[in-house]
Order: sequence, then structure tokens, then C-alpha cells
Amino acid sequence: MSELSWLFALLPAIVAGVVAAYLPREAQAKHRFALGAVIFLLVAGIGALWPEAAAEEAQDKAEEWPYLLDLLVALPLVGGIFVLFLPRQMLTLVRGFTYAIFAATFVASLWLLGIDYAPGWHFVHITPWIESFGIRWHVAVDGISVWLVILATFTTPIAAFSSFGSIHKNIKELCAAYLLLEAAMIGSFVALDLFVFYLFWELMLVPMFLMIGVWGGADRIKAAIKFFVFTMAGSVLMLGALLYMVWTHHQLTGQWSFDYLDLVQVILPGQLGSWGAQAACFWAFSLAFFVKVPMFPVHTWLPDAHTEAPTGGSVVLAAVMLKFGTYGYLRFSMGLFPGQATTYAPTLAGVAIMGGILYGALCAWKQNDVKRLVAYSSVAHLGFVMLGLFGATVSGIQGGILQMINHGIATGALFLLVGVIYDRRHTREVSEFGGLAKVMPVYAALFVIVTMASIGVPGTNGFVGEFMIIAGTYVSERLNQFSSIQAVGAAFGVILAAVYMLSVVQKMFFGPLTHPKNKRLNDITVREGLALAPLIALIFILGWFPRLLLDRMEPAVAAFRTQLVNLSELAKSDHMQPARYSAARLAPAEMFGSGYLDGAPSLEAEKKDEPESAGADAQAAALEVRDDGTVRAAPGGAR
Amino acid sequence: MSSLIAWIPDVFVALAPLLVVTLGGVLLMLSEVLSKRPAGSSGPSSDLAMGSFLAMGTGAVVALALWFVGPENLAGAEDAAPYLIVDRFSLFFQLLLCLGGALAALLAGGYLPEHRLDRGEFYPLLIFGTVGAMILAAAGDILSLFLGLETMSLAVYAMVGFRRGSMRSTEAAVKYFLLGSFAAALLLYGGALLYGATGKTDLVGIGEAVRAAADGTQTTFSWGLLLVAMALILAGLAFKVSAVPFHMWTPDAYEGAPTPVTSYMAVAVKSAAFAMMLRVLLTAFGDPSSMSWGSGWPPVIAFLAVLTMTVANLVAGQQESVKRMLAYSSIAHAGYVLVGVVALMKSDSGAQEAVLFYLLAYTVSTAGAFGALVLCGSRGREAVSYEDLSGIGKRHPAAALALSLFLLSLTGVPATAGFFGKLYIVKASIGAGLHVLAVVLLLNSVVAAYYYLRVLVYMYMREPAPGAPIAIPMKSGYVSTALVLSAALVLLLGIFPSSWLELATSAALAMAP
Repeated sequence: MSELSWLFALLPAIVAGVVAAYLPREAQAKHRFALGAVIFLLVAGIGALWPEAAAEEAQDKAEEWPYLLDLLVALPLVGGIFVLFLPRQMLTLVRGFTYAIFAATFVASLWLLGIDYAPGWHFVHITPWIESFGIRWHVAVDGISVWLVILATFTTPIAAFSSFGSIHKNIKELCAAYLLLEAAMIGSFVALDLFVFYLFWELMLVPMFLMIGVWGGADRIKAAIKFFVFTMAGSVLMLGALLYMVWTHHQLTGQWSFDYLDLVQVILPGQLGSWGAQAACFWAFSLAFFVKVPMFPVHTWLPDAHTEAPTGGSVVLAAVMLKFGTYGYLRFSMGLFPGQATTYAPTLAGVAIMGGILYGALCAWKQNDVKRLVAYSSVAHLGFVMLGLFGATVSGIQGGILQMINHGIATGALFLLVGVIYDRRHTREVSEFGGLAKVMPVYAALFVIVTMASIGVPGTNGFVGEFMIIAGTYVSERLNQFSSIQAVGAAFGVILAAVYMLSVVQKMFFGPLTHPKNKRLNDITVREGLALAPLIALIFILGWFPRLLLDRMEPAVAAFRTQLVNLSELAKSDHMQPARYSAARLAPAEMFGSGYLDGAPSLEAEKKDEPESAGADAQAAALEVRDDGTVRAAPGGAR
Repeated sequence: MSSLIAWIPDVFVALAPLLVVTLGGVLLMLSEVLSKRPAGSSGPSSDLAMGSFLAMGTGAVVALALWFVGPENLAGAEDAAPYLIVDRFSLFFQLLLCLGGALAALLAGGYLPEHRLDRGEFYPLLIFGTVGAMILAAAGDILSLFLGLETMSLAVYAMVGFRRGSMRSTEAAVKYFLLGSFAAALLLYGGALLYGATGKTDLVGIGEAVRAAADGTQTTFSWGLLLVAMALILAGLAFKVSAVPFHMWTPDAYEGAPTPVTSYMAVAVKSAAFAMMLRVLLTAFGDPSSMSWGSGWPPVIAFLAVLTMTVANLVAGQQESVKRMLAYSSIAHAGYVLVGVVALMKSDSGAQEAVLFYLLAYTVSTAGAFGALVLCGSRGREAVSYEDLSGIGKRHPAAALALSLFLLSLTGVPATAGFFGKLYIVKASIGAGLHVLAVVLLLNSVVAAYYYLRVLVYMYMREPAPGAPIAIPMKSGYVSTALVLSAALVLLLGIFPSSWLELATSAALAMAP
């Protein structure tokens, strides 16, 4: 194997060369080059997914380059600002520069896959920023967030690429918006300092707002403002809760810190399920994420935003930005408030099923506008993801994360496909179409494939995620006696998905070709095919080899779940003791997996203190305090 | 040289920022009166704008120099007390006010010639108004406080009515004058009653008397008199910072005044009023019982704050004129600052520095927003309504970008000054246990986002209706300079807030009891 490893390393180049050389004759050199480049990146990306490749690379460079995540954020950020200074007339230069940045970011993000994802944080980089407030640039990935980072670096270029086919005004600003959006998305996924997270979270709104508002459809302005105000209303409450947590942490330890690893130790006062600081902060955080997911009843911005956004904007919005809701709920709501998250899980799971999966599906069924239909199907699919997270079994969480990726791929592809037909007919009404399979056979075939993935037919990626979620829900002890009913409800949602997706496929592609305008439609172009090809490839790869993702996310998910269970047990025992729930305190450090809290400012401060209090007594005393399991650092005075 | 410095009385050194600006104002006024302009030459703005910018800029630099020397190292710092107090707090505000004044001078340098209002008296008025504001920020006695207030107000009344031919401008000036005098009378009457209750006119003395009465050491004390005095003074202060329900004059005065004056009122006058408010509340009513929720001013201010934020934001969303929207938005921002003022009740909440930082952030953002509005219009084609701004993002990208930046800062989008301003205020109010106020503030900032974004929507996402009047941007080096200056500060405060917060913190410490 080792003597052939060079062949493995060259595989992307070889495949790319072969495909580019065997293109149909009429293709120009630049098409060959573009296709070659896309194939190269695709094969390189798929190759990086295989654990064997990862293991080999891991031998080469075992250490993690700490600036990699900085680079991933900085490349599109700097590129996005730089692109604004390029001359407006030189479209090729502007686009080429944008592609180059995207490609570089994507390739850089593949390095993330080159390591073994043991529990804990990887590619950690910490630099002080605003020291008087304890705000630090703290970025890291674990086996959960790494997939979302790659999803962002993978789908944003596709969205941008497809946009250039249909949008012809303000290209320079569009490029800048895409690049800044990508930077903000990557930044939010990798930030472990909640301040940095909030910063990128808010920053993300501006390019998306502009994208909907400037390049959107007829009713774009209303949709853009609705999008901005809904999301901001959720996130300001999160900011308030965040500041309350930071302040509580300051009261407990005397240190200002916005660090996730510090705040995760804080247990706010309040009983489970009753109104108190803990519940208020849980709901403030969760509301911000529920708006973004979006969950019923705060989902109403999504159909409008999707309908009015340009195709590329819809793709990014659906594929990546909605994942901030689910990712944020997993990381922050469940991470920071494990007790409350457990208490409310059965209720919220019910909301996810009734309001998300079933209601979303029924709404999708009744839509005449295909794009609106896909938007409502997003509500239903993300209901599945949320259900997996609420159930919080290992398979449920894994299925939820996998389904985040799957939804990104399948719905991204669906939006691209809807964009194709919209560019030709400038309408998305289902009743305008019929019998398209006769004039656009390739398009129809691709649409059916993506539809299958979206429904979750075995063999496509959607099946694995939904199956794991439903199985996880069925056995979840957190959902109490309702778990089996909820699993049945979710399974019924899969049937409804088949109903609404297949009925639209039937109406659009089969039957008589009646409308005269439909008789002269072109099949999909090389550009559109190029944008879709990577997504279609991944539908099958993830459908057949889900372990590529599952194996590597499992340690992190299992560790996260153990921590969640431990902390929620602690919260349950606190619930009975007024002395413990009436005041804020710090969770004992052994509740967290070993190495999980590495890099937390409080631990670093302790390390610094240790040489000074080198006496054996002092250390023994410190250990005692830890063993007793209630107070790790006495408020204020201990430091 | 050293002999020269030795010859200058110590107190002059301590009051140098004030004196420099005053001297600059006198010199400019004299030079304007004595110089003869040949017909057809450029108007007085061409010299005076730069002159007043330099005068106030020098004032700011001198204030900064004194800051680094440290007021405690100045021999004459105590000489003017209690009438004028030289401490970091007053130096901070002198810096801030000079900055606001200097920006207004630059805006006027472009605005006045463009709109044929170019008369020389504007600049001395501006400078003397700033001197009044600086006195107000440093005043430690009811008398000097009133003196500063009136010096500032008279100059501003005249500037509001500067567009003599315009009914609106005149109406605004008269309205502002009548209500402003009323507020001044309330303050003065409150001060007189305070003197009656405590026998003192200096704030420290009043504070001691109130504290003694609250402790019970002073038994013959007229609480009724004190309460009435406090109510009158709070009402007067609320007038000056234009808190709801004392805000009725603000939209009309702001809309009618020439835009640089509006900017000056929103920035310098408001900051000076807040300086006065902080000084009076913390020094004269800074005893534990007056600062407690149960028996003092915090609930009153909290009520004003909630009312101010909510009403102003809701009304601002209804406006069709951008200038009027910004007027209401400045009222709303006063409400946010008032939340910080309430948080003063707990001394370790960090509320003082939050208020100071907020005022700094608000100053650069608001001055910038009004400045960008000046730049977006020209004579006869002013940018007044939202419609006027349609499509300006395409016609004049630089002006639109500047306006967007300042509006995003006012919205509180991260990486701008306004975000950290709000963050610190919310943090302070949470630290003081005022969770409800914090939530009200945050929700209000969402409402505010709606109308700030509307400007962006018009600038970037709409095309002007055919034949509709559109704003045509003017060209002016002065205005551009002011915008570049404020934009740089907005970003600097937004990306590296640490050192600025330290500045505010050490200014706040000077006030700690």
C-alpha cells in the first residue's frame, strides 16, 4: 500500500485530467479547465472523507496547525473586503478572484479532515482580544462542528457559482456578500468564545439581508426586513442572557470571561421547569435558535425569505444558515442549560413533530409555488433534526447532525433545480408546468434523484439520517412515555414528505405537455450541471457510506451525551434542594470529559496560580474542594 | 519658555481647554468683524470653518494633554473649585464636546455655503456654545452650572434659527427657545429650593447636607423642599436630554434647524446635559438613600428610560423624513443612556464608564449620520425624506456607504462603536440587577433596527420613481473630512474598544464617592 500511496495522492489530478480530456468535442478550453478544477476539488474532498486517507495523512503531520481555523475565517473575510476594491468592469477578474478564494478556503478546510477526531477540541487557537472583558479569540472544532464548517465551505461556492449564471447586476457586491457570508458562517461554527460567536452570528445577517434585498424577487424588501427583524429579535435576547451568564460567572469567580468552556460550568439559579434565571436564559438562547431553525411558530419568515431570495441566496440560507439554529441549540442551549433542555425536551419534541414535521409537510403539500414548497419542506426536515436533538440519544444526535448535512445537500440541490426552471420560465407555479420530462429529460432525472434524497429513500443520504433520528427517538428515555408515539408521528412525516414531493414531481414532469411555452425549453446547461454534480455525487456517497461521517463524529457525540446526562442528573438532584438551586454555582469539573475544558480561561488561571501555591497542603486542599463535588471555587474569596 | 509657563497662573493651566477654545472664539469673531471681503470672493466659511475646527481641535488636544499630566498633578486644579471642577470626568467631557463641536464646524463649512447661509456669526456662536457646554460639564456649583447651561443654550437658540428666511427654522427656534427657557427656569427654581433646603449652592455641599439628613445627624431638614427641588431638577434635566414626556420640542427643533446644528444639538448639547445629569445625581444626590430603588431617583429615571426608549422608537418608525427619524432616534438613544444612568445606583456595576463610552460612541455615530445626510443633499435637492435617498447607493456609493456605516453603528451591529456602547450599557444594567430594563432596551433595539434598515433599503434596493425629486450629493472637503474622521472613530471604537473603555473607566473613577 505504501508504495502506491503516491498514486492515491495523485488520484484527484488524474481523474480531473481524464474527465476534462474526454469532454464532448464542442466544449471550449475554459469549460474543460473549469470542469477539471471542479472534479479535482470534488475527488480531493471525497478522498479526504475516507478514513484511510486521513490515517495516512495523520502519520505525516500528527500535530494540528493552530492557525488553520484563523485562515479559514480570514481568507473569505479579507477576500470579501478586497474584492470591493477591484475594478467593477473587469468581471472576469472579480469572479476569478472569488473562485480562487473559495477554492483555497475549501482546500484548506479539507485539512480539517486529516486528523483523528478524539473527544475534545481540535485546531484550538486562543489569542486575547479585549482583555478588560475577558474576550478572547478562541476558535476550535470538534467532531460535531467540523462537518458544518465543511458544509459551509462546500455549498457557498456552489451557490455563488450558480448565481453568476442568472444574476448580472452588481456582480462585485454579490461576490463580496458571498465571501463575507462564508467568513461569518465559518466564524460562528468555530467560535468557542460566545462573544466572537455572537459577533459572527450578527455579522451573518448583513450580507444575507443585502442578498435578499438587492438581488431578490418582487417582494424582496419586505422579506429582507422580515428576515432581519425576526432573527435580530431572537438574538438580542440571547445577548441579554449571555451577559447575564457572564456577569454570574464574574460573581462566582471574579473573572470576566465570555468563553464557552467557562460558561458551560456555570449553573444558574432556578428550578427545573419553573420560572427562574436558568429557565429564562435557556429560553432566551433557545428562542434565538428556534427562530433560525425555524421552528413553529416562529418560522413564518422562512417561506418569504426563501421565495424572494435569489437562487444562490436560498441555497446558502437553506444549506448552511438554518443549521445555525440546530447547531446552536445543540452546542449552546443543550450545552449551557442541560437540566432545562432535558425538562423541556418532551414538550419541544412534540412541537417539532406537530408544528415542524407534520404541519410543515401539510403546508408544503398545499403550495403552488415550488420554491415555497421547498421552503416548507425545510421546516419539516429541520423538525426531524430538532427531534433528534431533543431525543438526545447517541443515534438521535448523530442522525440529527447527519441530517443537517443531508438537508444542506438535498435542499441546496432542490433550490438549484428550482432556479433552473425559474431562469427559463420566470415562474415557479406548479400549474404552469407539466410533462417537462419530455423536453428536459436530464433535468427531470436529476430532479427525481434529489426528490428521492429529500424524501429519504434507502440508498440516498436522507434515509440514513431520518432512520437514525426515528430509531433514536423511539428508544429515548428523555422523551418519557411519549417517545414511541413521537417516533410514529415522525415516521408519518416521512410518508407525508413522499406525498408532497412526489405529487409535485408528478405534476411538473409527467402527464401531457400542455403549455406552449414549455415546448421549447432547453435542458440543463454545463454550468448548471457543474453546480449540481457535486451535490448529486454526495447524495449517493453519503447514502452508501454514512460511516465516513458517523464514525468520526461518534466519539464527540458520545462524550457530549455523557456530559449532558451527567449534568442533567445533577440538575435533577439540585431540583429538590433549595440550598443548591437558589444560588448560582459552578459545576464540578469532573462532570466534563477529560480534556474537554482544556483552554478554558479559568483553568489557565489556575495553572498560573499553581507554582505560587506550591505547598502540598494547598494542593490537597484544592483537591478536597473538588472532590466534594459542589463547589470548585468559592465565590470571590478563593482567588 | 519655562519662565513664561511660570508666569501663567496655575489656574489658567488647569482651565486651559476652556480658555483655549474661548480665546479661539474671540479671535475668530474679531477677525471676521475686522476683515473686509472683496465682493465675489468666497464666503466666511472658507476661513472660519477651518479656524473653528482648529480652535476646538486644540481644545481637545489640550484636554488630552491635561489628561495625561493628570488633574491631580496640576497645581491650580483646586483653585476654581467648586465653581469649575478639573478632574478626569470633566476632561473627558471637554474632549467629547470639542470633538462634537469640531465635527459640527466641519459640517457647517460645507453646508452653509452650499445652502447660501454663509454668514460669519455662525462660527463664534458654535464656539461659544461649546464653551458653555464645557463649563456645564465642569460645573460643580448650581450657579456655574446655570451659567454654562445658558451660555450654551443661547448660542444654540440662535443657531437653530440661522436660516432666517425659513418659517420652519424660525418656528423651531422659537419653540426651542420657549421650552428651553422653561426648562432652565425649572432647573433654576429647583436649585433655589435646594439652596433653601440645604443652605448650599455647591453640589458637594448639597450632597453632604442630604447625606447628613439621611443619616439622621441633621434633624431639622425639610424633606418636602428637597423632594420638590429634586423633582424640578429632574424635570429640567429630562428636558435637556429630551426624555419622553419632555421631548416635544425635539423633533421640530431638530428638523427645522440647519443640519450641522441638528448634529451639534444631538451630540454636544445632549452630552453636556448628560454630564450635568451625572454630576448632579452622583454628587448632590449620591447618598445611599437617594441612590436606592426604594427611596431615591432610580425608579423615576427608570420610568423615564422605558418611556423614552419605547415611545421614541415606535414614533421614529412612523416618520417619513429621515432627519425627523434621526431626531426621534436620538431621543431613543437618550433612553438607552438613561438605562445606564439608572444602573449607577449600584456602584460596582460599571455603569458610569458604560454611560461615558456610550456617549462617545453615540457622538461619533450620530455626528457621522447627520454629516452623511448633509453630504447626500445639495441646494434645492436636499435629502429629507426616504424617497429622496432612493438609489443613492448607486449614484453616490461613498456617501451611501458612510451613511450605512453610521446607521449600522446606531443599530448596534457588531464591529461598530454602537454595538459596544449597547453591550456595556446592557452589561451594567444586568450587573445592577435591572434585568427587565435590559430586556426592554434589547427589544427596543430590534424596533430601531427596522427604521435604520429602511434607510439602507431605500439607498440600495430601490430605484427613484421617474420624475420624483431625488437628492443630489454635494461636494465638500470639509464634510468629507468630518465623515472620514467619524467613520474611523466608529470602526476604532468598534474593533478595539478596550483602550477607549479604559479611558472612560478612569474618567468615571473621578466621580466615585
